[in-house]
Amino acid sequence: MRIRITSIMVDNQEKALRFYTDVLGFQKKHDFPVGDYKWLTVVSPEGPKELALEPNANPAGKTFQEAMFAQGIPVAAFEVDDIRYEYARLKARGVVFTNEPAKAGPVTIAVLSDTCGNLIELYQPA
Amino acid sequence: MIVTRETFRRLCRARDLLVEIPEERLSIAEIAQKIDVSPFHFIRQFQSLFGVTPHQYRIRSRLDRAKLLLATGEHSVTDVCMEVGFSSLGSFSDLFTRRIGTSPSAYQHQARVSVQVPGTLPQKLFPGCLSLMGCLPPTAFRNFREARLTTAR
Repeated sequence: MRIRITSIMVDNQEKALRFYTDVLGFQKKHDFPVGDYKWLTVVSPEGPKELALEPNANPAGKTFQEAMFAQGIPVAAFEVDDIRYEYARLKARGVVFTNEPAKAGPVTIAVLSDTCGNLIELYQPA
Repeated sequence: MIVTRETFRRLCRARDLLVEIPEERLSIAEIAQKIDVSPFHFIRQFQSLFGVTPHQYRIRSRLDRAKLLLATGEHSVTDVCMEVGFSSLGSFSDLFTRRIGTSPSAYQHQARVSVQVPGTLPQKLFPGCLSLMGCLPPTAFRNFREARLTTAR
């Protein structure tokens, strides 16, 4: 058993692909049309784990996603080497942060909006 | 841009208001007023946070709701049109067809024929978590295996 793919729900797959590649810097891995949607995954240039950008078409998923967002709860966390650098880089690209970098126990975290209905946490280990 | 906790809360409140379909629909300017932000800043901040303008968000929400109502098969196209806040069947059908790629009645028919169990939503139109994986061609899984083998080397 291995962790190979994890997923995140997005309100628009095309918009999500642009954000996760052009803005965050991930790379598109798979893009298969499946009916009205796509099997769409991205990978970090630094690792093989895939992140599926899955449509939030199911009302149950949408309700969950909206509630998590409204409560300010991130649905995924990405590790970075230098959070201050990433914060400045992404802010310059127009990314909205709800939390600027701050120490939280053994990590420094920041939280951003992926513009697709999710809050994403960036963390830098101490 | 950094949004404060209060601005974030207000924008989430605005998002809820955009989705609501009351008798008297609030305009974008009225929603901005309700959350104590100028219309200009409301539109700019909303778009930065949610990736679409308030108007686009409202339209998308109404069409998503329409898709759901059509798929459950308990409403006529006219009922759905009214239920999601359109007053003209023609403009609803036209917008739905342009955005979704099929007319409301064709969408309803498509949903009906793909429902396996009465009362459930068609998986094809309303996929659950990671369920799209089951619809991939065999080559996709070969790609996964090849990627794993490449990584293992």
